[in-house]
Amino acid sequence: MSDGYEILTLDEAETGRHRGSTLIPVRHLLGFRPAGVNAWKADTGGQLIPPHEEDGGNEELYAVVRGRATFTVGDEEADAPAGTLVFLPAEVFRTAVAAEDGTIVFVVGGTVGAAFHSSGWDSLALAETYRQAGRLDEGRRAVEQLVAQYPGYWGAAYNAGRWEALAGNPDGAFEYLRRAKELNPVEAGPFFREDGDLDPLRDDPRFDELLT
Amino acid sequence: MNLVHIDELDKIEMPEGFTWRPVRRRFGIRAFGTNAYTPGSSGQVVEEHTEGQLEHEEIYLVLRGRVRFTIGGDEHELGQGQLVFVRDPSLKRGGVALTDDAAVLAIGGKPGQAHEISAWEYVFAAMPYIDAGDLDEAERVMQEGLEEKPGDPAMLYNLACLEARAGKPDAALDHLTAAADAHERFRTAAQTDEDFASIRDDPRFPS
Repeated sequence: MSDGYEILTLDEAETGRHRGSTLIPVRHLLGFRPAGVNAWKADTGGQLIPPHEEDGGNEELYAVVRGRATFTVGDEEADAPAGTLVFLPAEVFRTAVAAEDGTIVFVVGGTVGAAFHSSGWDSLALAETYRQAGRLDEGRRAVEQLVAQYPGYWGAAYNAGRWEALAGNPDGAFEYLRRAKELNPVEAGPFFREDGDLDPLRDDPRFDELLT
Repeated sequence: MNLVHIDELDKIEMPEGFTWRPVRRRFGIRAFGTNAYTPGSSGQVVEEHTEGQLEHEEIYLVLRGRVRFTIGGDEHELGQGQLVFVRDPSLKRGGVALTDDAAVLAIGGKPGQAHEISAWEYVFAAMPYIDAGDLDEAERVMQEGLEEKPGDPAMLYNLACLEARAGKPDAALDHLTAAADAHERFRTAAQTDEDFASIRDDPRFPS
């Protein structure tokens, strides 16, 4: 294996929980940058695609890799065996459940006319899954990986700060949170004021600097 | 619902021996590049190539069957649900089917840039019409590409090829000159391209 390529077996990859579904965080694991890529897996009756609509301009392609899925798009329902591709524009309700054990659906998404930039929801879903399991160090590593992938993204720095606060590392937390403020004070400000995960830092005089 | 099975996609066998199953074009996807491939007569599934020119990152996901990929000289046999992410555009990559039912979904694009439809998609889409001798329809596909990518030298060059073969020397020379002026490699290629045999003696031919 070289630095120039990487192989991933969807079945064996780490998974996270997100809105009632099991996520295989492909983009996070690979660092793929041109589009959002992820996969979902479930056994019979289990939810694959969390019910949602995409924002304006977002297009998504779903590929049933293995098993069988039942897609609901708007009011319409369709049976989708392995090898089926489903394309959906923005602002259309979509969800899918597994109709066979071991079903995997791969998803590609992006915004028309815009370079892809991840919000990091997939990395954070994985980190949160680790947190729920008491595996804080692995959660920290997942968020640090997001920072490495998007060093100029305030949300990545902010969440890394949250995770350092949770891990009892105030110096590391303030370093990331100051970075988040530098990158986007308007968006970061409300989170500094309202996020309960930052409570361990609030009595530290350095916290007041974040709020100014 | 906008849904299709990979076996229902158009099936365009390319001279290089693989079969292109257009996905982006089938759905009209504009946000990212994606296509499927199945084995052609030679058993090739993924054409041997690099992405050095387009600078694309690519993922090849095996949807069905087994495929032997060669990436930068390394061989890997992948089955259903396995993928290879080729980060380095300069790495030579290709895939050969190990089972007749092999199918691969490719996803690609240039990081940090809004997706642009690649000129090769129009060239591939025109291929069945060229093979059938329907140069008018092939020209229509290429004109469609030029509307999407105005001034693209690869589109201009390929349109000129068709026009020269169809006996339209003025249009062919105009488009070929524009392609050669935009990129020297098209001027070089034109000197030996058989498609231009009918116009090569014209004084307007770019040399």
